[in-house]
Amino acid sequence: MSAPSIRERLYESPGPKTRRRIAAFTGVALILLGLLLFLIVRQFALQGQLQPRYWDFFLKGSTWRYLGAGLLSTLKAALTAAVIAIALGFLMMRGKLRRFRPVRWLCAALVEFTRGVPTLLLIYFFFLVIPRMGITIGAFWRITLPCAISASGIIAEAFRAGVNAVPVGQTEAGLSLGLSNLRVFYQIVFPQAIRFVIPSLISELVIVLKDTTFAYVVSYADLMQNAKVLITSHDSLVSVYLVVAVIYILINYGLNKLSDRMARGTKKPAEAGQAKRRPA
Amino acid sequence: MNLSTLLTQYGDLYLRALLNTWRLTAISFAGAFAIGVIVTVLRVCPVKPLRVFGDFFVQVFRNIPGAAMLIILVYALPRLRVLLSYEMCVIVASVLIPSAFCSEHLMSGMNTIRPGEIEAARALGLTFFQLIVKIIIPQALRSTVLPMTSLAVGTMLTTALGSQAPLRPHQLELTGVVNYINSRAVGGILAFAVSAALYVATALVIGWVGGRIDRKVRILR
Repeated sequence: MSAPSIRERLYESPGPKTRRRIAAFTGVALILLGLLLFLIVRQFALQGQLQPRYWDFFLKGSTWRYLGAGLLSTLKAALTAAVIAIALGFLMMRGKLRRFRPVRWLCAALVEFTRGVPTLLLIYFFFLVIPRMGITIGAFWRITLPCAISASGIIAEAFRAGVNAVPVGQTEAGLSLGLSNLRVFYQIVFPQAIRFVIPSLISELVIVLKDTTFAYVVSYADLMQNAKVLITSHDSLVSVYLVVAVIYILINYGLNKLSDRMARGTKKPAEAGQAKRRPA
Repeated sequence: MNLSTLLTQYGDLYLRALLNTWRLTAISFAGAFAIGVIVTVLRVCPVKPLRVFGDFFVQVFRNIPGAAMLIILVYALPRLRVLLSYEMCVIVASVLIPSAFCSEHLMSGMNTIRPGEIEAARALGLTFFQLIVKIIIPQALRSTVLPMTSLAVGTMLTTALGSQAPLRPHQLELTGVVNYINSRAVGGILAFAVSAALYVATALVIGWVGGRIDRKVRILR
């Protein structure tokens, strides 16, 4: 493997005395964690939440088909929002690197705005104000657009960091070959920058996916909303919400792992090339 | 409705909402920070079950959506006879979720510490806890001021979950207040713009303070 992680560096192989102490602490920790788990399960049992009627419908295919349909809508909304956010973020990044000051300032203001305002406020804006302005958009867009706008500023900054990570000599070499500014950017700088940016784009998808759980505000039938229907039809709130939370956690965990793996793959050239800052 | 009528009618409410957002953010960030540090110590300690527990904690709260978390706190916990006030639910959600990110930042902050420092500390005979408290945590904190600054802004954004809990008018925060005004009168774009401006201004102040602290304490390597 590569360099030892912080965990390996913090302690070397213990001597017999330390080993005994660690064993003792391990025993105590196991007992305490076991006790915690026992108390949680006991609380479930005492309140009757472990009764089969709260859990047996998870054995039925129809339950999972229904949750799967909700999950599909969630993924559809999240992916659409992510694509829009990447497009907006790209435009904002281009604007922030412009020489023309008003464009630069406008894009910088947009980045600060989208990063400083909670997604929920934007969702309420699309839910309460846009229809009153006489613009009718469906529930799908009422959840995707605010999620996209909310993520676009962070994506713009991620793009900018990626572009800045490309050594400035690349731009200089392109320009001295007589290429135009645009060709230097799109043929030389951006293809290299995108490699650094992909991991953060994937972790952005996690943020967008989490934001789409507010879809119930605009009554878009996502995973959360379908879970609510299951709850009313089976009268079992705790089990359904726990299962749905686990589904979200597993998907996001997988996306984060993917992002980590891609980051490890692209790290070496980033460290090799001196990350000189491009003039803004 | 123009700005002056909006502010004369709902100015007090906005002021209180702003203070509530600040208060929720401050409490939650302090809690997230404390839990983040503790969990990080668990994640690097020599006792394996505690390391596994720390990792599990971080993965759960890093990946759970805020809405799902809040709904579980507000609606599922009472059925397990765990009763929290609505405001407490919002605070718990905006403590636990950022605490996972806090721990992740600290872990990457630790990785910037040179191995020689740890070896030197061990050669001096420091115990694990002395090593953590005197060498590791201070340096990890000093090199993670900027991520912690964005974490503070993130915590502020998480407190918008307050609009999803049935809070009383005097407990409303900046997102909930807009919802409240819109349900009683047509606040329109303006009602949103006031809250958005207050959020962005707070975020800019946090960013400015974080930048100043960072310049002061950052370790130049």
